[in-house]
Amino acid sequence: MLSDLTFGQYYEAQSFVHRLDPRLKILLLIAFVVFVFVANSFYGLLSLALFLLLAIIFSKVPFMQMLRSLKAVLFIIIFTVVLNIFFYNSETETILFWIITKEALIFSAFMAVRLITLVMASVLLTYTTTPVALTDGIESLLKPLKIIKFPVHEIALVMSIALRFIPILMNEADRIIMAQKARGADFESGNLFKKVGAMIPVLIPLLISAFRRAEELGDAMDSRCYSSAAKRTKFKKLKLGYRDLVATVVSLIAFSAVIVLKIYGVAVI
Amino acid sequence: MQIISKGLTYTYNKKSEFKKTALNGVDLSINEGEFFGIVGETGSGKSTFIQHLNGLIPVQNGELTVGDFNLSPKDKKEKKALKKRFKELRSKVGMVFQYPEYQLFAETVYEDVAFGVKNFHPELSESEVETKVKKAIETVGLNYEEVKGKSPFDLSGGQKRRVAIAGILVSEPEILVLDEPVAGLDPIGKKRLMSLLHTLHDTGVVKTIIIVSHDMDEISENVSRVALFSQGRAVKVCTPKELFLSGDDAVKRLGLPVTAYVEDKLSKIGIEINSNFKTKDFIDKVIEKYREIKG
Repeated sequence: MLSDLTFGQYYEAQSFVHRLDPRLKILLLIAFVVFVFVANSFYGLLSLALFLLLAIIFSKVPFMQMLRSLKAVLFIIIFTVVLNIFFYNSETETILFWIITKEALIFSAFMAVRLITLVMASVLLTYTTTPVALTDGIESLLKPLKIIKFPVHEIALVMSIALRFIPILMNEADRIIMAQKARGADFESGNLFKKVGAMIPVLIPLLISAFRRAEELGDAMDSRCYSSAAKRTKFKKLKLGYRDLVATVVSLIAFSAVIVLKIYGVAVI
Repeated sequence: MQIISKGLTYTYNKKSEFKKTALNGVDLSINEGEFFGIVGETGSGKSTFIQHLNGLIPVQNGELTVGDFNLSPKDKKEKKALKKRFKELRSKVGMVFQYPEYQLFAETVYEDVAFGVKNFHPELSESEVETKVKKAIETVGLNYEEVKGKSPFDLSGGQKRRVAIAGILVSEPEILVLDEPVAGLDPIGKKRLMSLLHTLHDTGVVKTIIIVSHDMDEISENVSRVALFSQGRAVKVCTPKELFLSGDDAVKRLGLPVTAYVEDKLSKIGIEINSNFKTKDFIDKVIEKYREIKG
């Protein structure tokens, strides 16, 4: 059911990666994504993949758990690979079925590795960072925007509430699906339009309950005099430590390897 | 339809790191015609168990039969045969979840109640559907003409719940399973709903009724037999009186019905009442005892 989806869940553990500053983890992820696209050779990707593997090992998240998170994006990966195999533009001679070239195969494998590392890196961030820490980190990183009157705190609050409510609403959706199934609702058969139509008895109660919860939460915040205008203090202050230094150094090594390989190395084809 | 469960076991997220055993070998049989209660602490497996009864949760291990439905198929062929009969099973085993009014969705009460019949019997004509809907709405004690065109969201809490129950009764189930049916209702609403269930049972509209409850007064007052769930097992299956006299730790944590509590206190000062813990019987016996003492 819905709760089987593991994409974007927190994995409870005490590890090096878990204890890193969320701000650093977010920045490293952004840098990682950029470098995955900068890398133009398998060697470049390999250094990034090794770095990712190291991070996974030090995060204590079981490797199978990481692999399972790929299930959610498997379709996109396969789709990209297939498209690239057939539509990669190259003038060399074909080796398979008259239209597929060696370059196309290599390039699509390259794209697949790219996508897999991207997804795994993002999943590792959510596995090792609680939603609260994540929004704290984003809020802290966006702070400079306050100068141009950007409502940083409000945005961070909305984000943390949204993240907080995803599992709750998923549970709720599961329950409503069960209840409507008990009344003979059929969510599996029929064409796409029929399936979408079948979701109405789930979506309406879900929306109503989301609004109900929103109102309750608003009342609870009001009754505790919550105000975003007030200067707020934090229970957990973000602080950089020696771990963050180590992580930065290691990632800089991986990233510079990509650059060096780009300048002196060979491209993918 | 008789329910027989043998060694029923279920683990959530079996393959994942987050796995959790909910049922750990449930042996329980519930006969046709019973008004049956299921009690237990949060997380004892009550809800998981009842969701097996109409195939919402597939049997992982153990055996479960409901009437002539074998819910623990041995091979692919049996599995396929069962899948074909799911709708039939679900129309015969009606399930009212906790706070069923939160599952209402249609524009009118009529449409919402008709949802079940239309799913189970797409072959029925609109007038046949209407007859069934009318009957169900009247069975739960609402005025059909008055409510049929209303939005279910404009009704009161108690009425909403009745509409939700009508939405289950409309498919004419033989077994009705209710998870915390009176939770969140006011005292009058509770009383009315429980007496509705008794009427359904006594008049044979529904043959078997199973209620899951945390409220021991409700259990002692209404059911003829009760199963105590603890750590994924039905550890005790007996009459409510036997359950409350058992002195079991789990029972102590759940609490006693008021009548049992008072009887216990009275027996400590030497007055034995010995009722069946139902309010009426209890009061009768107390009066009798009082007269006896007064001489």
